[in-house]
Amino acid sequence: MVTATIFSFYSDHASELVDKSIWTLKLFAAAFGLSVLIAVPIGVWLGHIHKGRFLAINLSNIGRALPSLAVIAIGIAIFGLGFLNVTVALIVIAVPVILTNAYVAVDGVDRELIEAARGMGMSGLQTLFRVELPLALPLLFAGMRTAALYVMATTPLAAVVGAPGGLGDIIANQASYRFEGVVAASLLIALLAFAVDGLFALLQRYATPRSLRGRQKYEVKGTALEAG
Amino acid sequence: MTSRTWHKGMLALLTVALAIALAACGSDDKSSSSSTAQAPSGQPGKGKPPVTLGAKNFTEEFILGQLYKQALEAKGFKVNLKNNIGSSEIIDKALTTGKIDTYPEYTAVIDTELAHNNKRATSAQETYDRAKKFEEGRGFTLLGKSPGQDADVNVVKPAYAKKHGLKTTADLKKVGKFKFGAPAENKTRFQGIVGMRKVYGLTNAQFVPLAIGLRYQALDSGKVDVIAGFTTEGQLLDKSKYVSLTDPKNIFGFQNITPVVNKKKLAKWGPGFTQTVNAVTATLTNEALQKMNQAVDVDKQKPADVASKFLQANGLK
Amino acid sequence: MTSLVLAAAPVVPDFGGGSSCVRNNDFFCWQWFKDNWSDTFAPRLVEHIWLTLIALGIGFAISFAAALFAHRHGWFEFPFATLSSFLYTIPSLALFQVLVGITGLTLTTALIPLVTYTLLILFRNTLVGLQEVPEEVTEAARGMGLTRRQILWRVEMPLALPAILAGLQIAAVTVVSLATVAAFVYDHGLGSPIFDAINRGSFNTELIGAGGLAILLGIASYALFAGVQWVTTPWTRARRT
Repeated sequence: MVTATIFSFYSDHASELVDKSIWTLKLFAAAFGLSVLIAVPIGVWLGHIHKGRFLAINLSNIGRALPSLAVIAIGIAIFGLGFLNVTVALIVIAVPVILTNAYVAVDGVDRELIEAARGMGMSGLQTLFRVELPLALPLLFAGMRTAALYVMATTPLAAVVGAPGGLGDIIANQASYRFEGVVAASLLIALLAFAVDGLFALLQRYATPRSLRGRQKYEVKGTALEAG
Repeated sequence: MTSRTWHKGMLALLTVALAIALAACGSDDKSSSSSTAQAPSGQPGKGKPPVTLGAKNFTEEFILGQLYKQALEAKGFKVNLKNNIGSSEIIDKALTTGKIDTYPEYTAVIDTELAHNNKRATSAQETYDRAKKFEEGRGFTLLGKSPGQDADVNVVKPAYAKKHGLKTTADLKKVGKFKFGAPAENKTRFQGIVGMRKVYGLTNAQFVPLAIGLRYQALDSGKVDVIAGFTTEGQLLDKSKYVSLTDPKNIFGFQNITPVVNKKKLAKWGPGFTQTVNAVTATLTNEALQKMNQAVDVDKQKPADVASKFLQANGLK
Repeated sequence: MTSLVLAAAPVVPDFGGGSSCVRNNDFFCWQWFKDNWSDTFAPRLVEHIWLTLIALGIGFAISFAAALFAHRHGWFEFPFATLSSFLYTIPSLALFQVLVGITGLTLTTALIPLVTYTLLILFRNTLVGLQEVPEEVTEAARGMGLTRRQILWRVEMPLALPAILAGLQIAAVTVVSLATVAAFVYDHGLGSPIFDAINRGSFNTELIGAGGLAILLGIASYALFAGVQWVTTPWTRARRT
């Protein structure tokens, strides 16, 4: 009977749910997209030149230790309420994970392979793009997967920090939307989170050369692969 | 004296007596048979069952909750304050399902939004009487009502008011489209956008739901053009920042504060409860409410501290 | 009962006004922070720590038992890992709100998600830690005549400790972070002043104060477990990631 009311919520509020889902996806795209643009080049470059190890490894640890709501709170004091503030907060949280993984991924490429490439006459950049990056992709995607999941799962918070427009509006407002509404919107955001997670799992899988699948054992404790 | 003179004199006397009697009874709305409220002596609350007091989700209600809680505790009652429950629609449910025993409410909200009386009352007394009748039909009752009122009011920035020549809510019709920011429940309330559209013909209003604590920021940042403010809010004391539009057609009603109480529980608490509560309600003038709201909202003091200071100053604690 | 009046007009005391710093909503008003430390920030900090410890304790108890069981009965790993992974993916605010409809605005509603979000990492780390113990070591122990239980507690556990501590480290900061959101449904912890401040004209001082404390708590928790790892597992200090 409860499922019936949840289904009827979907049909009654279809356009509203679509609008709010789109807003949520916009927030996700902005935050995650910018995070990738910032973190990947830096992480990859540092890994390539094998410098900045301490910073790169510990950055993600510090990043993970930051409570998302607290970062948003400080963001409000700086940027005021709204979309910008939440986007920035999400970037602050997502960048460390992506950066660390990018670093470890590129830094950890087998030195012999790099030497072989150099021996064949490849320049530094060529080595990066033709050898290191392809081999780094699985771990890179693993980090992006973790970050993507975290960003998507945190988007509903926007509703309670003065940035309405997304599915969080419904989830946080049991008074107006009743239990069925909360469940319906929660299922929807969980679905989006699963979709994002699944997408990156696929990317991770396809990026892994067939010969290496199932054999990868990255021992980066707790930082990179905890979403494995 | 002849019998005719005596009769004339008696008639005159009777007429005068009658006139005086009528004048005494039928006075104007403002102070119709007012009752002096005084706190009871001693500790009438000792040994009585505990009071579960609820409060709605905005500053004034937080303060009211603290006022009643501390005043009752000073008289020996044990009070359980459930703060920040939600809008009237929500807290009413908490009341009817027994989760709380009492909470401070506004008379016109009961009359128009809870009792759904379509025909609006024409005086504060009438609003109160209708609200009381409604509640008593459900097993609850209203205690005394406050001298002050806190009704909704449309608030705009001074520049906006100047630009469009706005003095009353009706003037909003002159503006093109405008964004009206208010808590979500105003979307379906007559005292919200429904009344604004129906009575003032403001079909040019676009409703923007806002969290109740974020209205003034939304107005400041230009996110909305008009917000639903409350007449006793502290922010409105700064007329250089905010302009209140009048409500000539009185859609926002007469909103005196009055505690809604569960009748069965009230019987158990005895007259000491009513006296204590009424003594507090009697202090709630517009000025008192606004100054307390200002202390919390603008000066960032705690509702509990502000309430405590106020009660002490008035000998209620 | 009609309009009440007092014998005289009520006294409206001077509430003292606010500092200009507070009235202008400057970035951080140190005086206000100090004044409100002992009755707002300090108690909320303590509440937050308690909430974290309770959730971690329960989460660890469940995950540890589950990992021990899965270590013995391999089939258990997949269902438990899948379940905890599923729970982990659900956005926290959604889980809190759905539970409100079932268990109300209580400690239980706050605790359940805090616990479930730790299960995945604690379970996986504990299990992997146990599984990584080299075969030769357990063989040798068996050869020496140790019982299964003795092997578990005297050989496997100490060797699994680094992984377990690493898992606890991540779980701890996860809980600290989520406990701030829990304040939305259960008025405890540092999230309460944050939500309070947002509803009070985005009051910067309170936002920075509470947000800052939460961040410091998160970092401190992380450092604490790093310290515990460093002290208790000296043989891993030489290990490089």
